Amino acid sequence: MALPRRSSGSRFTLAILLLSSVTLISLDARGYEPLTNLRKAATAVVQPFRNLASTIFDPIGDAWESLSQGDSLEKENALLRDQLGELLEYRVTTEGAVEELAALRTQLELENLGGQKTVVAEVTAQSVSNFDPYILEIGKGTQSGIRDGMAVISVGGLIGRIEDPGLRSARVRLVTDPNVNIGVLVVGTNQVGILTGNGVGQPLLVSDGIPVSADVEKGSILVTSGSERSPYPGGFAVGTILEVLVDEINLEKELIVAPTGQFENLEFVTVVLYQPLITQNGRNN
Amino acid sequence: MSMFRLIKALFVITLVLILQLELFSNIRFFGVMPELMLGLAIASGWHGGPSNGALTGFVCGFTVDLYLATPLGLSALSYALIGYLLGIVAEIVAEDIERIVRLIISIAAIALGLTLFVLFGELIAEPNLYNKNFGKILVVGALYTGLFIPVLHYMMSWVFHESTYQGNQRPMNRSQLT
Repeated sequence: MALPRRSSGSRFTLAILLLSSVTLISLDARGYEPLTNLRKAATAVVQPFRNLASTIFDPIGDAWESLSQGDSLEKENALLRDQLGELLEYRVTTEGAVEELAALRTQLELENLGGQKTVVAEVTAQSVSNFDPYILEIGKGTQSGIRDGMAVISVGGLIGRIEDPGLRSARVRLVTDPNVNIGVLVVGTNQVGILTGNGVGQPLLVSDGIPVSADVEKGSILVTSGSERSPYPGGFAVGTILEVLVDEINLEKELIVAPTGQFENLEFVTVVLYQPLITQNGRNN
Repeated sequence: MSMFRLIKALFVITLVLILQLELFSNIRFFGVMPELMLGLAIASGWHGGPSNGALTGFVCGFTVDLYLATPLGLSALSYALIGYLLGIVAEIVAEDIERIVRLIISIAAIALGLTLFVLFGELIAEPNLYNKNFGKILVVGALYTGLFIPVLHYMMSWVFHESTYQGNQRPMNRSQLT
């Protein structure tokens, strides 16, 4: 079989395309504004088609989900029924907890969450990548006051932060991402540590900041610390301590934390329209 | 590439992109979705040759990049290379090759494309690409995308008429061949 001769034209095309790709990567890494705007524009242009496609394909996706996750849904229902029973029992014994919490919040000088403006946004898509499952897409953006870095909460607590908001849509980076760090405070103590994600479906970790002598216990609640440099307002529930381990090399405690926020089957999330003072000052300067 | 062919290619790319973003991102096997746009780049290399394969692969990758959190150009780089490579492979192997062989080559190319994507991502220190699920994504992603390869080949065959690519000449249609 005679091999066809390849002209230098195809190699030249490839070379140009590879150079273009590398240039794009380089410019994007530097945060080149026109490329960011191009992304936003492309999202806005295709969004109506995506909405239309979503209307058609969502029932198919839902049917697939119920088929493929039938067993786990049954188990989840049973678990939720058990939890509901426990909660109803618990409620009777903790009638005074609200007042106690208010007193505790005052003591810890946490901001009043009721004072923060929020926006409820619909979850329009899960991650569209195989390699980055720590993303959600929501159907509101800068037009609704959403800005980069704002905290996103669901039932139970903090689940992530806003990333690259467009005009009418935004991405949410979930706290389960191993590259996300959050300053957290152990309620009932003044211990502040750094919480990191540990992958989808895995507990969160606090492996930095809690000294071995600290009095932290299993079952304690972690809330966002709300420190000056933190992008999150203080006092949002993040998780409950499942296990306390001792790192004898660094003389620190490592906390295994169950997230309190709901990550599965999300339809709506709440974006807290809060920007830390440091960002606002930076912008003013 | 003629204007008519370009319009057909853009139509197919947009259609497959929307299917990938809106339908197949929700229909996952073991948590893995098919990489249809990579499959399209492979099919375009097969039917259009190295130049068209690289160009279509670049466009496919670039459009996917617009919707991912990874740097713009990362998928474009990998897909352009794979499109070009498949163009060369298509030149080397016989044109009347069995479809099953073409399918196997395409599946292997998907695995290679995913590996290249992660490799380039790691080179620029992009987080989250190489993780403990990489093997699963590679195997399931390649096989799952493989299910759609015949359809993608059909689409790109429609765009480039027939798999009659020879060198850098314009693709011929069936009547010209007889």
